[in-house]
Amino acid sequence: MSVKIEKEQIKDKPELLLWKIAGSLGTESINDISSKFEEIINQNYKFLIAEMSNVNFISSAALGQFMGCRQMLVEKGGDMVFSGVNLDIKTKLSAMGALKIFKFYNELRTAINAYEWEVEKKPEKVYLSFPPELKFVPAVRQMVSRIAKQKGYSQRDAFRIETIVDEICNNAVEHGSVDQKKNIEATVIIGKEKIELEVVNTSDPNKIEHLKEISNSLKTLSPKHDERRGRGLALIKMLSNKLDINFSGDGTSVHVTKLREE
Amino acid sequence: MESQIELEYEDIKGHSNAKLVRFIGDLDATNVETVLEKICNLFNDGFINIVADFKKLRYVNSTGLGILLHFSKSAKEKNGSFKIANVNENVYEIIEIIGATTLLEIYDEIEEALASLK
Repeated sequence: MSVKIEKEQIKDKPELLLWKIAGSLGTESINDISSKFEEIINQNYKFLIAEMSNVNFISSAALGQFMGCRQMLVEKGGDMVFSGVNLDIKTKLSAMGALKIFKFYNELRTAINAYEWEVEKKPEKVYLSFPPELKFVPAVRQMVSRIAKQKGYSQRDAFRIETIVDEICNNAVEHGSVDQKKNIEATVIIGKEKIELEVVNTSDPNKIEHLKEISNSLKTLSPKHDERRGRGLALIKMLSNKLDINFSGDGTSVHVTKLREE
Repeated sequence: MESQIELEYEDIKGHSNAKLVRFIGDLDATNVETVLEKICNLFNDGFINIVADFKKLRYVNSTGLGILLHFSKSAKEKNGSFKIANVNENVYEIIEIIGATTLLEIYDEIEEALASLK
């Protein structure tokens, strides 16, 4: 049994190389790994994804060789990760302690996304479209909050983001969307340092001036016992770092920037 | 789907016109009316002193906070009180940002809130 290692350059990522590995990574494979890796070092790559979905065996010697390769990349400020490792091999690698050293991704796309997020600091975009009804808002706000947590935002930041999304969407439902057939469109751009939210809803053109007045008056906090509503925008303003509201044509768009704080 | 919120009630020994109410879940625009109705029913049944235990209240938004202020006001109008205890730090931050900490009776522990009942 032998091993086949195909190298592939990923577009627009000059420091990242993909190895598509197939076959068995037995003891005899370490020379192949070593010679291929030398090319990586000579060509100044810093990051390596080893795609393993067609690998059926890995020996401790091959794992040791990979550890050495990773160490050299780490010393250059890079890393080596695995994608597509099947469950049997992953269990074996786990027993050998590899899960504490390497990052494993189920799919190649996920590994590339992680590279874009960690190394290129490329933000991720999520689009959400939902009917203008209150009952959809909890799911939307909780989803955005979970994404923030998944991306390493603290519990406290995730809670603030959840509140901001909730308040914007509630306002979009309450003050906009005269045409019930048109969905509310939300865009979430989540980066390592900040999260940006934009929520767009339709509104009655005849009410635009009235909405402008509301938005101006609601930006100040005025907690009084007799007012059960009307604190949403003020809360968004206090929890976020930037708040813009635009009324144009037949729609309203709210844009919020929230910096990562912890 | 409406956010989940559950209210659990408990009598308070020595105070026939008071109830301990445990809020469990999220209080937001989708369920404020339900909560409003339940608490107003307590007021109407003569329980003019409410001690709200927020230990398991995970989330509150501005609409939810609005009805808490409404409960506080309604209780005072009936010569009663609406006291809150065990508020988690995220919920407390929202109350604080809105500037409602001075408008609501907030206690760290439920025992303190109970002890303050007249």
